[in-house]
Amino acid sequence: MSETAISIRNITQRYGAADESGAVLALDDVSLDIKKGEFLCLLGPSGCGKSTLLNIVGGLFKPTSGTCMVNGRLVDGEPHPDKVAFVFQESTLFPWYTVIENFRIALKFQGIPQAEWDDRAMRALKAVGMASFASHYPEQLSVGMRQRVNMARGICVETDILLMDEPFAALDEQTRMVLGEDLSQLLAATGKTIVFVTHSLAEAVFLSDRIVVMSARPGRIKTIIDVNEPHPRSPDFMLEPRFSELRNECYALLRDEIRATMAAQRDPQPQSAGA
Amino acid sequence: MSDLASPQNSPALAASPGVFARALRKPLWLRVALLAGVVALLEFYGRLYADPAFMSPPSLIVKAFFDKIAPQPKILEALWFCVAQIAAAYALSVVFGILIGLLIGASGFSRSAFLPIILLLYAIPQVSLLPLVILMFGLGPAAKIAFGFSHGIFPIIMNVVAGMRDVKELHLRAARSMGASRMDTIRHVILPHAVPSLFTGLRLGMTLTLLGVILAELYVSTGGIGYFTRVFAESYDPAPLFALTGCLAIIAVIFNELVRIAQNHLTPGKRRPPTLKNSVKE
Repeated sequence: MSETAISIRNITQRYGAADESGAVLALDDVSLDIKKGEFLCLLGPSGCGKSTLLNIVGGLFKPTSGTCMVNGRLVDGEPHPDKVAFVFQESTLFPWYTVIENFRIALKFQGIPQAEWDDRAMRALKAVGMASFASHYPEQLSVGMRQRVNMARGICVETDILLMDEPFAALDEQTRMVLGEDLSQLLAATGKTIVFVTHSLAEAVFLSDRIVVMSARPGRIKTIIDVNEPHPRSPDFMLEPRFSELRNECYALLRDEIRATMAAQRDPQPQSAGA
Repeated sequence: MSDLASPQNSPALAASPGVFARALRKPLWLRVALLAGVVALLEFYGRLYADPAFMSPPSLIVKAFFDKIAPQPKILEALWFCVAQIAAAYALSVVFGILIGLLIGASGFSRSAFLPIILLLYAIPQVSLLPLVILMFGLGPAAKIAFGFSHGIFPIIMNVVAGMRDVKELHLRAARSMGASRMDTIRHVILPHAVPSLFTGLRLGMTLTLLGVILAELYVSTGGIGYFTRVFAESYDPAPLFALTGCLAIIAVIFNELVRIAQNHLTPGKRRPPTLKNSVKE
């Protein structure tokens, strides 16, 4: 378990040139090691660069400076679909393809031989209980069903690492709790390394082994909180006092950051350095 | 017509939905009733009040079709010619419109470079150029096809470009994260995304192609439909004139319907599996 899957070293991400007035420093010298098989949440106010960090790990963005190694290989702005899979919001399913076609296209893009497509797709769909909807179009499913399919699509490519970028953001709270439970069950079995971006405190505490709390722009790691609770987690965990304590701890850490973000979005105060 | 429409709102009928009442609730009936009412009014007005040199009741128009249009091989030939010209102009618009649209929409750079030119050309009221087009292409079908083509191609180009442009960033990012190449992305993400917009363009293009061809037909009055309309108009014989116009309208409706049917069959995501339309909610 202690083997490092993802190693982030001194990552800085700047949008626009440093001397430009509109330049934004999204990430400032972030370093982080993520262990193999770990479920790690990036939690922070919106605009703190948590999605940026995830995209850098996934090779979708090239960082301004710093390095990121995934399984010992340098990621430098090029995706590694054989090692890393992304799950975004449910609307990432291609609406012009049926559920099964969405899986086939993902496997095709990843370079998996055609003979394996349907087998793998059906296995992943069965794992989330959506096998009987294989020939439906995404828009014929409810939002919650779509997100289950979307998660299964991320799982079917069978990578060691799964990056999830606010996958439940568009769901209502009840659905997102139930899907969170499903996710916890599902992933405990696979032993994948997961990096999960969220701004939901409860979700972060319920799902993660470690929570990385980030500061408002420029994004830095403020604290890392350990959640010592074995997977898979039952919904009862949410009723334990420790759950609320952790949740409150996260909130206390975040509150100042959220205030800082909101201040930066208002009219500039005389002394503040708002973007 | 209001007699037919009003029972829809009557609570007595709404409370006991018999077969008749349910049929009445379909909007189709209101539409048919409105059209029937307008035809009846025209008939009434045409027979009792109108000057027969300028207006004809619908019944006489239908009669004129069978007496003066259908038996005339020259007029039928002109109509067929018109159909062929529309088909040719539209085929050219579709092929070149899609090709040019794909080229312009392929990158943000080419879009910024070329789209303003297209918008500028599209903004020109082309009717003002019709005499010039006829001067260039002569009085035959070439001018009509060219004029139909110059009308039909622009909405197709613009909608192909628009469809390729508003592809979702999230879809592009997802495809890239799965390892899709540039060609994969174009084929499986950008093009399927552009299909609904393409069909909007194809339908608009059809409407404008019809407009272009028929405008040119009417303008060139030495032959074809334009000639016959002038003959009927100048001899104060409105019934066959309206009948001929009606034929053009029917041709236009058929062409538009063909495109609409093609759209319904070819838009991905519209080919639904037949079951479980409403029963799939959790």
